Amino acid sequence: MPAIQIADLTKRYGDITANDGVTFDVESGEIFGYLGPNGAGKTTTIRLLLGLINPTSGTANVLGADIRDRRALTATKADVGYLPDDLGFEERLTGRQALEYFARMRGDERRDELLELFNPPLDRRIETYSHGNKRMLGIVQAFMHDPDLVIMDEPTAGLDPLKQDRLYAFLEEEAGTGTTVFFSSHVLSEVQRICDRVGIIREGALVALEDIDVLLTQSGKDVWVHLAEPVDEERFVTPAMIDVEIVDRTARFTYTGEYNALLAHLVQFDIENIEIGDPQLDDIFKHYYGDDDPAEDHGDDGPAGER
Amino acid sequence: MTAILRNESAKLLRGALLLTGLFALLSAFFLAVFPGFAEEAAIIEEAFPPLLVGLLGFEELHTIEGFVGGYLYSIIWVLLTGIYFAYVSAGLIVEDIRTRRMDLTLSNPVSRESVVLQKVAALWVPLVALNVALFAVLFVGVTVIGETLDPVTLAMVHLLSIPYLLVCAGIGLVLSVTLDRVETAQTAALGFVFLLWLVEGVSTLDPDVEWIGALTPRRYFDPSAILVHEEYALGDAGILLGAFLVLLGIATVVFVRRDI
Repeated sequence: MPAIQIADLTKRYGDITANDGVTFDVESGEIFGYLGPNGAGKTTTIRLLLGLINPTSGTANVLGADIRDRRALTATKADVGYLPDDLGFEERLTGRQALEYFARMRGDERRDELLELFNPPLDRRIETYSHGNKRMLGIVQAFMHDPDLVIMDEPTAGLDPLKQDRLYAFLEEEAGTGTTVFFSSHVLSEVQRICDRVGIIREGALVALEDIDVLLTQSGKDVWVHLAEPVDEERFVTPAMIDVEIVDRTARFTYTGEYNALLAHLVQFDIENIEIGDPQLDDIFKHYYGDDDPAEDHGDDGPAGER
Repeated sequence: MTAILRNESAKLLRGALLLTGLFALLSAFFLAVFPGFAEEAAIIEEAFPPLLVGLLGFEELHTIEGFVGGYLYSIIWVLLTGIYFAYVSAGLIVEDIRTRRMDLTLSNPVSRESVVLQKVAALWVPLVALNVALFAVLFVGVTVIGETLDPVTLAMVHLLSIPYLLVCAGIGLVLSVTLDRVETAQTAALGFVFLLWLVEGVSTLDPDVEWIGALTPRRYFDPSAILVHEEYALGDAGILLGAFLVLLGIATVVFVRRDI
């Protein structure tokens, strides 16, 4: 059975639709990336899944519990870990006291093991913590009761690169032992790096749901060529090339057609250097969002946004 | 499951102790002026405008019972402590929602009903601290100035005040689950409890509007009657307790259903 089943989940605030008929499943043991710019409705979906807000219509199952069934959902939370984007710890407590507090409610059998990987200064008050330390404390509390499902909202925000790598490795290890990881992000490289599948959300609606490999294949190849002579644009560019940028003897484009056709086309030119690789998810992302900048298009803290 | 209760209790401790110290000082000050005050009490009672007498509910001001009941309890306990409980309760839920603490709290296998109940239960800290301290200060203070107060009657004042204070807390709690901002909820709670106190006081001045006072909690807790006449209005305390339970029920239902 899927760890999360979302069926036509809709949340409206007045005229604003924060989630619009979102439907997808997250399978047990997979790392699922929920991708979208700020204000797209990622946090809304997550808060719906946790029962913090009520759906306007549609529903979802979390480890078999219907989110509209409060009692079942509450019981399920013993097996769910949650890392919110905005970590509301009791700031007057020390890190250790905060962990004790959560441990009393749901256990902490893996606390010590986690603290070896993520080590916030436990004996200091949380009000003195940096973003990174708070995030580490958040990761420890999210995993310390050995949950079956972990829901994380922008988990790497504030973490230094070393700790980010440590988190990626840890998540892969956890998924390997059957833990389901659902996380939202607007950082595309991290999703590309560790996710099995991604869902892309835009203005509250799911616009793509793909295996990460399929997404990369469908999105073509990123091609960079350096010719011996200045590029003759008319002769060089074919309809299968998009996002073409030409500067003197260099051309850069995303190729969406047949590979053989590309190679046959390229041999007509005197090529000095070439690179063909997978596109960055950033580029793929642009295709789903069009050319307009989503941040301008849809304000960072707009009401459709992250609440 | 008492993690939230323990945490909230610890949180309320400092404020409760601070207020307890403050009230103890204030009470000691009131008591210190009593000996001089008693001699001129008759003149003072005459001189007080009837409005003020009605507002505070003076009776037998020249006796220690009348002074403590009509002056000290009427102001420190009924008004100030009532406001404190409303104010603190008004912050209980809305503050956690605003700071996103509630998100983390509710990520635990704990129901929203339990969250509300544990938070309200944590009010035992100020309730016990203030009651015990004020009782002790008054009992000792009265002895020091050479007067006597029946400890049983004094204890009854405190006991019967608990339902009153709980109603004030209930008012704050309902505001805490319905309003979106901490400051708004706390200001509203403070203002509302003060208004109720005022309405009851004013309503006693005119028989035509006296019934309005019956809608305020103060009507059901009269420290003067307890101290001066030893009238223990258990029925009234029951009404207050009932009102508190109704407010608690409303707050719980609202909180369970709302978006956070």
